[in-house]
Amino acid sequence: MKARQIILAAALSLLPLQFAHADSKPADFPLAERIKAKVAAGQPLDLYVSYHDVSNEFAPFMKAGVAKAAEADKVNANFIGPVGADADGQISEIETLMGKMDGLAISSVSTDALAPLIDRVLAAGIPVVTFNTDNPDSKRLAFAGQDLVQSGREAGKLMATTLGGKGKVMITTIDAAAQWSLDREKGAREALAAESGIEVVQTLNTGTDPQEIYSAIENAMLANPTVTGILSLECCSTPAAGTWVERNNAADKVKVVGFDLLDQTVGLVESGNIQATIDQAPEKQGFAAVDLLAKFIKGETIDNLDTGVGIYTKENIGEVAKK
Amino acid sequence: MADAVRTGARAPAMDRFSLSRLLRARETGVFFALLVLCIFLSIATDGFLTSLNLLNVGRQVSLLGIMAVGMTFVLISGEVDLSVGSTYAFSGLATGMLIIAGWGLMPAICVGLLTGVAIGLINGVLSTYGRLPSLIATLGMLSIVRGAALILTNGQPVTVNIRNGADAGVLETFSYMGQGYLFGIVPMQLVFFIIIAALAWIVLSYTNFGFRVFAVGGSAKAARVSGISVNTVKIWAFVLMGVLAAFAGILSLAFLPSGQAGRTGLGLELDVIAATIVGGASLSGGEGTILGTILGVLIIGVMRNGLVLMGVSPFVQELMIGLVIIIAVGIDKWTMRKRG
Repeated sequence: MKARQIILAAALSLLPLQFAHADSKPADFPLAERIKAKVAAGQPLDLYVSYHDVSNEFAPFMKAGVAKAAEADKVNANFIGPVGADADGQISEIETLMGKMDGLAISSVSTDALAPLIDRVLAAGIPVVTFNTDNPDSKRLAFAGQDLVQSGREAGKLMATTLGGKGKVMITTIDAAAQWSLDREKGAREALAAESGIEVVQTLNTGTDPQEIYSAIENAMLANPTVTGILSLECCSTPAAGTWVERNNAADKVKVVGFDLLDQTVGLVESGNIQATIDQAPEKQGFAAVDLLAKFIKGETIDNLDTGVGIYTKENIGEVAKK
Repeated sequence: MADAVRTGARAPAMDRFSLSRLLRARETGVFFALLVLCIFLSIATDGFLTSLNLLNVGRQVSLLGIMAVGMTFVLISGEVDLSVGSTYAFSGLATGMLIIAGWGLMPAICVGLLTGVAIGLINGVLSTYGRLPSLIATLGMLSIVRGAALILTNGQPVTVNIRNGADAGVLETFSYMGQGYLFGIVPMQLVFFIIIAALAWIVLSYTNFGFRVFAVGGSAKAARVSGISVNTVKIWAFVLMGVLAAFAGILSLAFLPSGQAGRTGLGLELDVIAATIVGGASLSGGEGTILGTILGVLIIGVMRNGLVLMGVSPFVQELMIGLVIIIAVGIDKWTMRKRG
């Protein structure tokens, strides 16, 4: 592991991501009369934060960020969303609550399916921002989160640096067809294509169950014994790839770069079976979702907010382990 | 009176052995399908026919297989259980949380298995005395148990390691259950699967309980007339399913020491039912064997393994697995009709 190169890559990627500006001014938005009256009367606003799967690993962190922002901005913030990535469930819930909400922050299950609903909520005079997963085809006021293509690009660069510019890479994802996965894969492939010595062997769709994920990686590594790098696009195939490396004593031959800071991932970075992992600061995203809405309704201009990426390697993972 | 029931539903292992009977056995078609698949993959890929890969396949199908054994009893009895994926997650995560809380291995595993018993018992009572179709009762339980797992864990991953509070000795034994190798070769998960399948085969083929499971599934009315307590038999089938799903969930956490209530075992019930039906069990009850189920599980496992080895696109893989399920069951039904 070339620690200097990794730290350099980490430092570079901590730079803000390149988000397009999208200033949204309250004066340009026809706020619903009932919301205007509420603001004028100084009543607390009822904001809703709809997350695409309240049962996933990041939901508790998002929820914690939402609660912090609600306290800081003195608003009522309700954390809602479907159990499991269910677009119909998310749409139904928002439709049901539309009459009560003074603002909506949404991380969509499906960008295509949710875009018309977002525009409908906006047309009713209710401000909408997106967080975590953007919905650029809608008329949302602003987005708070990671630029997924860019974060994929950072992961690709990190993989290239770790491999010293040459090797065969397998990309893993728990849902190859999901928009977030396609975005990250696009960025990762772009960055890896920039290195002539690196070949992407395949994209492995692992499924979501832990056993399924591990088995898929095990089979794929047997089929492609010359793979020297595994680039995971999300939380959950990252520790599975690290575990495969650990159990096959392959840390010298196969390098792993992935996403997020699950307990198991932290341990595997510490033990040197995962070379680097990219954090997407879910609590910060939950906070920003509510904060942007509250500011906008109270009359401030808002813009897209990059919540950034944090890169953790063996050198700095101790900070997370201490927490 | 018992003979009257036997004519409608008889355990296949009781058939007298002969070559013609063997060729006409339901499992023979499934076995040949598996054989053809293995021969094709051996030619088409370099890595399939290696001891490492075959043992991997054995391990990869073990948890599915353990659950499919339980599902065989439920399907033969004329019922279905959709809550197995949720039970798998709940029991495994509950056991993991107890280990992290400092419990000993056996008490933690016993509690985990008891949760499976409780879920199976509720499924059984709702489907019999509660007069709910098992499809509906267990569909409700699928959601209830998944919700309970999310509440129990607060949606957070459960990672069983020393840092989170597990005792080193307990962790070592627990890990061996999921990650160990018997004689350094055979994965422990596969060992558990073989033992459970063998016991289930004996129970289904040579005990009164096995006979009664076939009887109630073949014709509940005839079984009742014969003095068999249909409700009791069905409840026991659900309890067995619950315990085996719980055990598979515990083994899963022992293998990969981290699970999450929103993902672990999600949709697994469909894989379990598919494998059991590919193996020859009937959704209308009264038919099925443990050997057939093992073959069905192997077909699904070998397909998944082979498609990855061949580098087939992930989207095509889903399509092919669906096709194989339909073709395998279609051939089985067609040959059954031909046999009259």
